[in-house]
Amino acid sequence: MSDDGGLWLLLSGPASATGLYWALYRYYRNTDKSHAFERETAVVAKPVTGTDQKVDEIKGTRKSRIDGDNVSEYRQRVERIPGDSPESG
Amino acid sequence: MSNANPPSPPPVPNYTGPGSPRDVPPAPGSLGVDPATLPKPIRDEVQAPDPVAIDTSAAELKDGLNRCPKCGSTEIRQKPGSDELICLYCRHEWQGMRVEEEFGLGAGIDQLEGTVIASGARDIAADAASMMTFKCTGCGAEVTVNTENAMTARCHWCRHVFGVNEQVANGAVPDAVLPFHIKKDDAVARIRQFVDKRRLFALKAFKEQFTPENVSPVYLPYMIVDGNVSADVAGHGEIKTREYTSGSGNDKKTYYDADVYQVARHVDFTVDDLPLESSRARGNLDTRTNTNNIINTILPFDTKNAVKWNASYLSGCSSEKRDSNVEELRPRLEDELLSIARCQVEASVEKYDRGVRWQQERLGVHGTRWVSMYLPVCLYSYHQPGPNGGMLHYIAVNGRTGETMGSVPVQQWKLLMAAITVGTFVETIALWIVGHTS
Repeated sequence: MSDDGGLWLLLSGPASATGLYWALYRYYRNTDKSHAFERETAVVAKPVTGTDQKVDEIKGTRKSRIDGDNVSEYRQRVERIPGDSPESG
Repeated sequence: MSNANPPSPPPVPNYTGPGSPRDVPPAPGSLGVDPATLPKPIRDEVQAPDPVAIDTSAAELKDGLNRCPKCGSTEIRQKPGSDELICLYCRHEWQGMRVEEEFGLGAGIDQLEGTVIASGARDIAADAASMMTFKCTGCGAEVTVNTENAMTARCHWCRHVFGVNEQVANGAVPDAVLPFHIKKDDAVARIRQFVDKRRLFALKAFKEQFTPENVSPVYLPYMIVDGNVSADVAGHGEIKTREYTSGSGNDKKTYYDADVYQVARHVDFTVDDLPLESSRARGNLDTRTNTNNIINTILPFDTKNAVKWNASYLSGCSSEKRDSNVEELRPRLEDELLSIARCQVEASVEKYDRGVRWQQERLGVHGTRWVSMYLPVCLYSYHQPGPNGGMLHYIAVNGRTGETMGSVPVQQWKLLMAAITVGTFVETIALWIVGHTS
């Protein structure tokens, strides 16, 4: 077995202890719960429009996801562009 | 044993970090670990049934006047378990008007422009006092009502029940009220069922003092907001074009090639009846200092069934006064609208299988409509002593749907022991594998 694999295996004990601690802590205290307004509010949306433009290619990255993937992190705010007039881009 | 023992309890989750209400909440019933891998006592507790939420959206709602329309008595109560008012003197029961139809609140959201504020949601006057004195219309005596926590009082001379019905400058009288639908026995049963699922690692003192019969019905103030909105988001997305491995044996590594796209999305949408806490204290969801996120979780309510304000619905219940104005709540509304927009555009970027990094967002609010409402919540609370005043743990039951959520204080040493035991067990297996393969 490689050193790398052995190290990961040795870390599984502390990792499972911490994981179980947090899972049970949240199960009792429910600190991660809040109103899921994204799912539970009546929203009527017109069809989504937009543009997709190829700008670059990446070769040989070892990351399986894009850096800073936040597509499902709806509540993580990013730079806010002021102004009321909708425009794409 | 290896270093499976954490030296001290891990830090309590930050307000903004993972495990805080800033996370998109997990799907109902999900735990984060596969219950099948847990020891049996923990698994049994986790898999016990949750209190069932009932659907009241079809229920017809009723309302009343301050005086019984038949006999003129003021002994009016809400009929338990229904949305009707009943006169305790002549037993007459009657129904009222839903604000949805009365004020046309459900229609024309896509035509909304500017900020429309219902009369009960107007700004609170700076000099308005919460203690209000009224002249009893029955006998002329002066009756005082503390609108911080009650909306009805009994005249101590003529025994008439007096309700604060006229909209006053201190913001205590809302536009509408959603009457309780859950009876006290039902709420008690739900709280008991909720806590029974969380006994193994619960604080000993909490279990000893647990008396769900002490649950109290409270009307909490909310702003119910409709909005007509446009949103834009922009960022980068990646589509995988190739996946390959190089090296051999233990040095095998996976590499990816990808196309990078500049992605922009625009969506126009309307939201109907988005609830926002209009009490500053309740709107503070910092889980390090309070458990208000519990009360936030039992939202939403079937606000379509709210009826015109009538203080008689609050007889026997306490209430909390609104202390936030529309402009104070606007940043929170915009934050939630942006989150909804991001949720709406997610399906349109599914082809980016390596994900999307949104970098910019813009919100155009064309119109909003604000209605203030009292919503019914059954609250059970337990004060856990500790530094900085300790922590007040709530277990809350939605007074309409019965949705139940709570914060049960944990016995830290017990929880740590369980985690360490499981960690040690896993580590022993790991050591055994390492020992036999090297």
